[in-house]
Amino acid sequence: MSIITFNKTSKHFGALKVLDQVDLSIDAGEVVVLIGPSGSGKSTLLRCINGLEQITDGDLVVDGISVNSGAKQLREIRQEAGMVFQQFNLFPQLTALENVAFGPKKVRGADRQEADRVAMELLKKVGLEDKAKHFPSELSGGQQQRVAIARALAIKPKVMLFDEATSALDPELKQEVLNVMRQLAEEGMTMIVVTHEIGFAKQVGTRLIFMEHGKIAVDGDPRELIDNPPNDRLKDFLQHV
Amino acid sequence: MEIDWSVIFSFLPELAAGAKTTLYITVVGLIGGMFLGVVAGLMRAYGGRFLNAVAFVYIEVIRGTPIVVQVMFLYFALPVLADIRIDPLSAAILAIIVNAGAYIAEIVRGALLSISKGLTEAGLAMGLPYWKVLLYITGPLAFRRLIPPLGNQFIVSLKDTSLFIVIGVGELARTGQEIMASNFRAVEIWTAVAVIYLLMTGTLTLLLRIIEKRMRIL
Ligand SMILES: Nc1ncnc2c1ncn2[C@@H]1O[C@H](COP(=O)(O)OP(=O)(O)OP(=O)(O)O)[C@@H](O)[C@H]1O
Ligand SMILES: [Mg+2]
Repeated sequence: MSIITFNKTSKHFGALKVLDQVDLSIDAGEVVVLIGPSGSGKSTLLRCINGLEQITDGDLVVDGISVNSGAKQLREIRQEAGMVFQQFNLFPQLTALENVAFGPKKVRGADRQEADRVAMELLKKVGLEDKAKHFPSELSGGQQQRVAIARALAIKPKVMLFDEATSALDPELKQEVLNVMRQLAEEGMTMIVVTHEIGFAKQVGTRLIFMEHGKIAVDGDPRELIDNPPNDRLKDFLQHV
Repeated sequence: MEIDWSVIFSFLPELAAGAKTTLYITVVGLIGGMFLGVVAGLMRAYGGRFLNAVAFVYIEVIRGTPIVVQVMFLYFALPVLADIRIDPLSAAILAIIVNAGAYIAEIVRGALLSISKGLTEAGLAMGLPYWKVLLYITGPLAFRRLIPPLGNQFIVSLKDTSLFIVIGVGELARTGQEIMASNFRAVEIWTAVAVIYLLMTGTLTLLLRIIEKRMRIL
């Protein structure tokens, strides 16, 4: 069953057309890896799903709710679609545990005890239970990103959106974050992952989408597409990442 | 005339009363100024075109004119223009509110805009409404960055109250001048006045240092 449906969705920034009549349907349980050259609209596509960018044409339905149906509905969508950012964006005044417990408390209305319990469980899951009391500034980039993943999971989303979650990390720290993402995929989480990690796409992805100029240029099975790129531009792109 | 420091003691009650008035104007004025400044600062940072323009004009008019002119306007021109009569003390307090409000607005705006956009997005992406993101995330962070420049403004406003000498409010500087007029003890009295101002600003500085130390600036 489709959980995210783009229906001739376009997004303009002024005169610039960044998404060009995108048609795309994503089912629950899919791990979609989104690749493409810089400026092709990957981040924008992701950010339209949770309404951080407003679509300018067509429709986009997430978990049965159109992103255009109002502020309250948009907040419902956002609670179903957790996002992980390239720059982590952890709240610097809160500890790791408080960051993760923030969503359950302020968004889901859980009491403190319950929120802390959920948060601790998630920190364990990302392997950081011993860092619960640390502030973001006291954690490595990889640890911060794992806290950020736990924070997004804490509101119990149905979909997780990753926008270059490992791009700001040193090579040796990337792996710990990718491992957490792989574990999530294995648990059946629906994921849309913008990344340059072709290895991850091949091993974890169930679907690969190559974007160009705001359009979906290629869409298919990751292993097949990576081993036998159907066109020169994808082949070129894969050789350069 | 010989310098005789002991004359200060005979005028201490008057000087203390003057200092009290200075503190009163400053404290009430700054409470109002904080309120006005936060509102105008929010309008500048997040308001639509109209609210933004209103706040912008207010801030520029106040920052572009001397506080002496502002208080003269409130005390002498307003009665003529709008038939509103106010006593000197109220005019003084109002002048601090309006004046400090404009500077505080810029401080608030700067602090809010210095918080990275990514944090707001992270809050929004969790499904929080904008005002809650402001209340729980951006606001508390901005508040920490507010304290040093705000403390500065408090000290400036405290000293600015001495300019209300022009409308005859019995604050500390005016008190000093009146004592002077009766006994011509310039050195003693103005030294005493200066020391009392220093005590007040010094206490404020100390308080701010303590608050700053307690709060980690992030
Ligand atoms: N807020 C904005 N205002 C104006 N133009 C924007 C804005 N955000 C993105 N763009 C433009 O939209 C286009 C697509 O941007 P987007 O960030 O989606 O690309 P991307 O595929 O994620 O690229 P990258 O790999 O560099 O992250 C770019 O040309 C970009 O300059
Ligand atoms: Mg991007």
